[in-house]
Amino acid sequence: MSNQGISIGRRHAMLGGAGILASLLRGTHPVLAQSAQRKATLVIGIDISDIISLDPARIAQYTNPMIGHAAYDSLVTVAPGDYITIRPALATEWAYQPDGKTIRFKLRPGVKFASGNVMTAEDVKFSFMRLINVKDQPQQYIAHVDRVEVVDDHTVDMVLNDPTQPVLSIIAAPEFVIVEKAVAMAHGATDAADAKDKDTAVAWFNENSCGTGPYRLTGWQRNQQIQMVRNPNYWGGAPGYERVLIRHMSESAAQLLALKRGDIDVAFNLIPEQIATLKDDPAIGVLGATSLDFVYMAVAESPDNPALQKRAARQAIGHAIDYDGIIRNLIGGNAVRPVTFIPVGMNGSTEALTKEIGFREDLPKAKALLAEAGLPDGFSFQLAYGNAAIAGVQYQTLAQKLQADLARVGIKAELAPMDQLNARTLYTSGKAQGIITFWNPPAPENELWSGATINRVAKRVHWDVPEPVRKLVADAGAERDIAKSAALYKQYQQAMIDAAHHFVMIQPIYQVAVRKSVTGFVLTAAGWQAELAGVKPG
Amino acid sequence: MLRYLLSRLATSVAMVLLATVVIFLIANTVPGDPVLSQLGDMAASNPATVAAYRAKWGLDLPLWERYWIFLRGLAHGDLGTSIASNRPVLDDITDYGPATIELATVGFVLSLAVGLPLGILAAVRRDRWIDHVARAVSLVGVSAPTFWLAFIMLAIFYGALDWAPGPGRLDPVAFPPDRVTGLLLIDTALAGDWDTFRDAAAHLVLPSIVLAAATLGLITRTTRAAMLEALSQDYVRVARAKGLRARLIVLGHALPNAMLPVVTLGGLAYANLLAGAVMTETVFSWPGLGRYTFRSAVTVDFPAIMAVTTIVAAIFVLVNFLVDLSYALLDPRVRK
Repeated sequence: MSNQGISIGRRHAMLGGAGILASLLRGTHPVLAQSAQRKATLVIGIDISDIISLDPARIAQYTNPMIGHAAYDSLVTVAPGDYITIRPALATEWAYQPDGKTIRFKLRPGVKFASGNVMTAEDVKFSFMRLINVKDQPQQYIAHVDRVEVVDDHTVDMVLNDPTQPVLSIIAAPEFVIVEKAVAMAHGATDAADAKDKDTAVAWFNENSCGTGPYRLTGWQRNQQIQMVRNPNYWGGAPGYERVLIRHMSESAAQLLALKRGDIDVAFNLIPEQIATLKDDPAIGVLGATSLDFVYMAVAESPDNPALQKRAARQAIGHAIDYDGIIRNLIGGNAVRPVTFIPVGMNGSTEALTKEIGFREDLPKAKALLAEAGLPDGFSFQLAYGNAAIAGVQYQTLAQKLQADLARVGIKAELAPMDQLNARTLYTSGKAQGIITFWNPPAPENELWSGATINRVAKRVHWDVPEPVRKLVADAGAERDIAKSAALYKQYQQAMIDAAHHFVMIQPIYQVAVRKSVTGFVLTAAGWQAELAGVKPG
Repeated sequence: MLRYLLSRLATSVAMVLLATVVIFLIANTVPGDPVLSQLGDMAASNPATVAAYRAKWGLDLPLWERYWIFLRGLAHGDLGTSIASNRPVLDDITDYGPATIELATVGFVLSLAVGLPLGILAAVRRDRWIDHVARAVSLVGVSAPTFWLAFIMLAIFYGALDWAPGPGRLDPVAFPPDRVTGLLLIDTALAGDWDTFRDAAAHLVLPSIVLAAATLGLITRTTRAAMLEALSQDYVRVARAKGLRARLIVLGHALPNAMLPVVTLGGLAYANLLAGAVMTETVFSWPGLGRYTFRSAVTVDFPAIMAVTTIVAAIFVLVNFLVDLSYALLDPRVRK
C-alpha cells in the first residue's frame, strides 16, 4: 500500500496538536501575574474545604475564623503569643459590676463599619442577641451569657446567668463579633427569640460582610476562593492591600509550587519536608507560631480490657513513651509538649512544668508500675487512629512509634487504623480502648480544656472524676486573678497525670511560608491563624 | 424500534433505582456517625443538640422511611439538602458540576484526538516506530498513577519551565465571567472576554492531559486492535486489489468497521472521566464533583451521596443508551 497519504495525515495531526498546545499556553499567565493588580492583592494559599459558613453566628470549623477575624472585630482580643492578657478591641474598657454578674463595656468611639456608618451599642446588642438566639454551635460557648443590654450609645452591659464561668477570653473569638444591625436586618437577619427559625441571612453572610474589620468579604466560591477588599473606614489605619484572595489549594505540593512561582504569597499547609526545601530560597521566609492544638493518646478504663482499668498500668504507658524522640524525629523538633490538656502558653502551662510534673520516659519505673498493677509481663490493648495527619505527622507513623516504644516494657499496642470519622465515632461513644486524636480550641480559655476533661472527655475514657478534681476545675475557672488561677491549674494538671488517661505528645509549632514581598504577616494561635490588619506589600 | 427503545428506557430507570438502593444500604452500614462529622466536640457531646440534629436531618427515622423520602424528593426533582454544606444538593452540584464536565470533556476530546490517529497509524504501520511510540504512550498512560502524573506535570511545566499556569481554573486575579453555563470556556466566549478565555483554556491544559492519559491509552490500544482486525478482512484485500488509494481503504473502508468497539469503550470512558476525576481535581485544586463526592463520602453526607450516585448511575445508563443508538448509525445491520 502507499504510505504517502498516511504520512501526510500523521505530520498534519502532530503539527496541529503542537500548535494548539503552544497557542493555548503562550503568554496568558505571566501577563496577569505581573500586573499592577496582582501587586495590590495578597494571595493566600490554604485548604478551605472545611468551611461550611462564613456567618459569624454559625462558624464552627477551622479555617473560617481567619476570614471572620479579617472582616469583623470582637469587643476584646488577645495578641499573638500572649493568650492570657485580654486586650481592647471594639471595647476600650470593661469591668464587672458590683452585682457580680454584669460586665459593663465602654465602646471605642468613632469606629465605622465598612459601610461608613458609625458603630453603636445597638449593633453590639443585636450581634450578641442574634448569635444567642440563632442557637448554632457558637452559642454553646457563651451559654452562660443571658443577654446584652444597651446602657447608652457607647456602653453595653453583658448579663451573665453563671458568673463563675469565664467570658472575656471566649468572646475574643471571631464568632462573637459585631455586625452592622441595619445591614444584617436588611438581608434577613434577626435577633428575636425565634431567630433559630426566622433568621435567613446565612446566604448573604456567606458571601458578604458588614463588620468593622480591615477587609470586607465580597465573595466565596466554594472550594475555589474567597475574595475580600480593603475597608477604607477601618479604625486601625488603612489596610496594606486593596484585595485579599484566599485560594483553595488542597495539596501541599501544589501550594509549594505556587508559592515558589509567586502565584500565591502565603502557603499555609506545607509539611516539614517542604518547609525544609525553602531554607535557601531568598524570596521566601518561614514563620512559626506555637499553636494551642495538640495530638494526644487517650487510654480508657475500658470494660473490655481489665488491664487498662488499673491506674498503675496506664501510668506505665505514660512512662514508656519516648516523648523527646517523637518531637525530634517525627516533626523535626517543631513542637512543644504540655503536661496535659492545657497547652503550653496558656495560664499555668509551661514547658518547665512539663519537665517538673509531666510524664517522662523512665522504663524501670514503667516496669515497676506494671509489677504494681500485677502485670509484670505487660498487657495488650487496641490502639485506634484515623487516616489523618497533623502538621505533617501521620497518625499511622505516630502509632507505629508508640507501638515500638511500649513494646520495650512488654505492653503490646494492637494497631487499629480506620477512617477518621469512624475513629471519632468510636472514641465519642466510649468504645475505644486507646486512640490517637487531636484537640484544637474554639477560644483560648483554659476552662474549655479543663471543663471538657472532667465532663465529656472523662466519659469517653470511663473516668469517674473525683469530687476534689471537679471542685479544682470549677475554682480555677472562676478565679479572676491570673496568678492564683495558675496555681490552681497546676494542681489540676497534677491530678490529670495521676489519673493517667491522656498522654499529650505533640503541640505543633505551625510553619507558614510567606514571600518576602509581603511584610507584617503575623501568625496567631488564638484560633484565627493570622492577623491580616497589619500586612503590607514590602 | 420504538418498542425496543421503550423497553431499554424502562430497564435503564430500573437500573438507576437499583443502584440507589445499593448505595443507600452501603452508606447506612458504615460505622461513622454523620452527626460527628458536622458538630464540634462540645455540640456532639450534648444529647439534646445531637437529638435535634438527628431530627432535623431525618437521621432518627427508620431506614425504609428515609429511602421513601429520598424517592419522593427525587420524583419531584428535589435531591434534598446536603448535611455538610447546608445547601440544597442541587445547588452544590450545579456549582461543582460544570468544572468537572468542562475538564472531562476537554480531556476526552484530547484523548480521542490523539488516541484515534495514533491507534490507526499503529495498526497501519504495524511494528514500525510509530507502533512502538503508540505502545509506549498507552503503556505509560494506562499504568502511571494519576496523582503521580499530575504532580510530575505540575512540577515540570508549571514549577520548572513556567509554561503552564498553576492549579485552579483561573488566575487568582482574573475575574470570572458572568455565570451562564458554568463552563468557563463557553461563558468567557459568550462575554467576548478573550483574555479570560485564554486563561481558562491554559488552566485546562495540564489537568486535561493528566485526565486524558489513561483514556488515551485505552483508546489507542482498542483502535489499533480493531483496525488490525478490520485490515485483515477480505473486503480490504478486495479494495487493495481494485487499486484503491491506501488512504481511502484505511479511512473509508476499515475505519468505520473498526469503530464499534471504540465507541463502546469511548462512551464508558467518558462517563468514567465525569465520575472519577478525584485525584486530578485534588492535585489541581479543581473545584469539581470528584472532590465533592469524596468529601460527601468521608463525612457520610447521605443526601449528597445519594444525589451524586443517582446522577452518576444515570450518566452511565444514558451513555450506554447513546452508545447503543450510535451502533445503529455505524452499523446498518443493527438498524434492521
